[in-house]
Amino acid sequence: MRVVLCIDDTDNLESRGTGTLASQLARELEENAWGTSRFITRHQLLVHPDIPYTSHNSAMCFVAEIEEGSLEPLIRHAAAFLARESAEGSDPGLCVVDADQLGDPAPLIAFGQKAKQSVVAMDEAYGLAKSLGIHLSEHGGSGQGVIGALAGAGLRLSGNDGRLKGHMAIDTDNGRATVGKICAHADVDEVRSLDGRHPEGDELVLLGEKVKTVLLDGKSVLLVVPADGAADGVAWQTCSKQQLRNY
Amino acid sequence: MWCIDRNGRREFPGGKEDWPGAARTAVCCAAFYPDVEEEQIADEAVSCYNCRYRRWTAASFTCSA
Repeated sequence: MRVVLCIDDTDNLESRGTGTLASQLARELEENAWGTSRFITRHQLLVHPDIPYTSHNSAMCFVAEIEEGSLEPLIRHAAAFLARESAEGSDPGLCVVDADQLGDPAPLIAFGQKAKQSVVAMDEAYGLAKSLGIHLSEHGGSGQGVIGALAGAGLRLSGNDGRLKGHMAIDTDNGRATVGKICAHADVDEVRSLDGRHPEGDELVLLGEKVKTVLLDGKSVLLVVPADGAADGVAWQTCSKQQLRNY
Repeated sequence: MWCIDRNGRREFPGGKEDWPGAARTAVCCAAFYPDVEEEQIADEAVSCYNCRYRRWTAASFTCSA
């Protein structure tokens, strides 16, 4: 079965980030032989004076294929993990969606998109989670993180929101690699230009120091732009962090 | 020069697109501390936009350092 697990508001200014906790949870899911997970995505939510957040108001999410009977152990483990590992003063929330049982994801996706545009109340999050049969729980502080956790799960399911956590380590020839070689990386599904073009497999890409992908059409996509100068047959180069900031 | 918001917090006057200004400010700041990788958005490693102590607002960020 496929599940979406999302956490939010676990950190403070001195603690580990929410992304680090998400990575640890994903690793422990596999160590417990409950299943396998794929990449972690970061989802930006609204920044607004009425919303309490540490510094950026983003949620961290991953999708996992888990064995039958593993859902309840996973939820119990994640809940205890958040209660134990979240930073003092944080308001952690946990959302776990059984994607196979969800049915129409549209209301959940709409909630995620709403949380990027407007202030949402906890009651609304709990109400939607209950109506859709989604696990949503708070694990300290005010529990406000449930809003971001539910919203992040919806945004992940939308397939078109967020950046992947971490950087891709790709072997290059003097900083260059073909599109085909880049797509051979386990966490890169596609290379696409910012304006939507799809470079051929033998086209060369100049890779920046830190290669990061974004979530588009449900895939981990490496975005590129035409290479400056187009020297040495290199047609493309990876986007800068600044170019990816709005994903 | 920082702006002071209505809650008395220091707000960066350059908004969210002053990349050179955010880098210059951070270079001169003894409190700069890099945020976790997934929250960094500036290509300059040392930039207020990458600092753990910046708190994003609708138009800019406030500094908690």
